[in-house]
Amino acid sequence: MIPTTIPVPFDHIVFTEFDDREGVLVDLNAKRYYTLNETATQVWRLLEKQRTFAEIVNELTAIYDVTDAHAAASVERLLSDLRMRGLVRHR
Amino acid sequence: MPRPSTEHVSDPDPRRVSVELTNICNLHCSYCVRDEEQLYHSPASYFPAGLLRQIIRGARAAYGSKYVSFTGGEVTLHPRFCEIVETIKAENAQFGFVTNGFHFDRVYPILLANREALRVVAFSIDGATREAHDRWRGEGSFVRVIRAVTKCYVEGLPFIFKAGIRRDTVPQLEAMALLAARLGAIGIDFSHLLPTSAQAEDELALSREERTHAEQEIGALANILKMRVAIAVGHYNVHPDPPCANLRGVSCNVDYRGRLTLCCNLAGYRGAEGEADVVADLNREDFTAAYERLQEVARKQLERRRQALAAHELAGREPDLHTGSPCLFCLQSFGKIPWHQQPTV
Repeated sequence: MIPTTIPVPFDHIVFTEFDDREGVLVDLNAKRYYTLNETATQVWRLLEKQRTFAEIVNELTAIYDVTDAHAAASVERLLSDLRMRGLVRHR
Repeated sequence: MPRPSTEHVSDPDPRRVSVELTNICNLHCSYCVRDEEQLYHSPASYFPAGLLRQIIRGARAAYGSKYVSFTGGEVTLHPRFCEIVETIKAENAQFGFVTNGFHFDRVYPILLANREALRVVAFSIDGATREAHDRWRGEGSFVRVIRAVTKCYVEGLPFIFKAGIRRDTVPQLEAMALLAARLGAIGIDFSHLLPTSAQAEDELALSREERTHAEQEIGALANILKMRVAIAVGHYNVHPDPPCANLRGVSCNVDYRGRLTLCCNLAGYRGAEGEADVVADLNREDFTAAYERLQEVARKQLERRRQALAAHELAGREPDLHTGSPCLFCLQSFGKIPWHQQPTV
């Protein structure tokens, strides 16, 4: 089932991009760094633009040579991880 | 109660020359010590690499300095920062600089390419939260600093935080230290407010008792945290020995105009009524000869301080804040805080 809510980054998370590929998040409340790989960085950029789950999956399949199902599973896992770590919330 | 580590105790080599790379700044922090005319209403002036080379050589010959500390204005606004850093490298020196972090991206590639010459990046902060910091420096400033700090952390560039001790920051001393420690800073340096008006002093400066309490808090943090936690010269210190590297003769300042001055805290001071701390124009004069005169200024100031301390001791009373704080004493002596006693220099 495709999630219908839009995940958005919390205000206390600061994103820094490196070389157009990887990114680092700083959780200002926990005062902790999180490293994002290339895919996660792409997803984070889209989260900042408040893209829906479906839109994010579409973007990834356009960039990478993966199936919709594979991209959806990856995004779901990533979002779950980000939610668990208190980095995104659902709007 | 634990005492915080002081500048010359925690710094393994205080021999340095501080150089103001520019007069201008992109922010408008109302407590800034730099003259407003200089910061915002004068043509931008950028320190030339050629003069820097002479100064590095002169300071090395005079007192063995191999380190240049860049201040301003805002250092990252210098349009030829790359040339400045290359000059440092060519002279086998090291450098560090203070920055508000807003335009850090301008210098970041240069730092990566010259990391062996970089000793430290010092980010100025006004609090441990976006709200506290941006209140003084404008919306978006804190996020800019955090992004700059992140880049330093990821690339292993050494950085510290610098924070003023003021009425509004005292409740956040621990939070700022923890923020620095958790974000990978190698240290945090606190320094007491240098007041630029009677009003600013009334609103922001701490009383003698409040300062002692803040210094003890910083001392406690220094004992708890592995990261260096230091308080700059300016804390209450009535020992007659030279209280700082400048009065000890192993540090000096060159302002953005190329003038040799005693200390970066005194140069271009907002609201000042004197410039007796300026001894030479290095665009016209050799560093060595000028430095000799600066040494004489330092010697006289040290003697002035000793006499003031001795007078209090003779009278059987504790020196007041403006005698006991070396920085406030110098500010007063050199006419930088005219609403206090008349200058003695």
